[in-house]
Amino acid sequence: MLSLMSRNPEEPVYNRIEEVRAALGLSRQDLADKAGVHYQTIGYLEREEYSPSLVLAIRIAKSLNQEVSELFSLTPFKKGK
Amino acid sequence: MSKKNKIYWFEGVTEKGVKSLLTDENSKYGWLRPQRNRRILVAMMVVGLIAVAMGSYWPTLKTNMNLSGGAEIVIYSVTAIFVIFAVLVGYLFLRISVRGIGDAPNELLDERQIKVRDTSFRYAYYAMGYVVLGLLLLMLFGPELKMFQPEGNDGSYLVIATLFAFSSMPSMVLAWRERDI
Repeated sequence: MLSLMSRNPEEPVYNRIEEVRAALGLSRQDLADKAGVHYQTIGYLEREEYSPSLVLAIRIAKSLNQEVSELFSLTPFKKGK
Repeated sequence: MSKKNKIYWFEGVTEKGVKSLLTDENSKYGWLRPQRNRRILVAMMVVGLIAVAMGSYWPTLKTNMNLSGGAEIVIYSVTAIFVIFAVLVGYLFLRISVRGIGDAPNELLDERQIKVRDTSFRYAYYAMGYVVLGLLLLMLFGPELKMFQPEGNDGSYLVIATLFAFSSMPSMVLAWRERDI
């Protein structure tokens, strides 16, 4: 039963949401309101525990004044970039 | 937010009710949010459902306790009402603990919440398959094993417990699995 409850492994989508959000002085709730999602979804995204749909990725990038490619990647971002 | 409180009859929720749970307006239910507390609630719910299912054996218990007359009826009735009430309260808390995500319509949830809810329904569907299989086996072999009697102990509480389980299983799965709700 426990194995039945385990999560399916998904290909992680790395992102710089937390870094950019903090730089802009936004709270998770602020960004959530702008992107039209629940604030905990922002938390899941920042911890890279949830891969957003393309629509949500674009909405978040727009909310943070970034390009999607600057914010999301299939490979880890270099620190300080 | 529109002033009109839309009622979602199929899901059995209201727009304001779901939004209130999703936005932490009811901070008094914050103690239900931690996963540990939610898992304790799920465990208590399972115990409650088993107690309801065992209701079919309460008449036997009553006989074994050598209760007679009025006391017999009072103890039996009070126990039955208490157990069913406790399960109903548990069901209510369970729905609150998962912010109503288990029962909310798509338009009130974001894409992650919809995904989480749909996954919990899939697991709940599997789990209910096992529960119904167990019920069918009991119905099939119960009479052979003299588990039921025509008077009182007729297995009807098993069906009631299964119906309770059916409505609460998605929220139980959701409450058990999710780290943050």
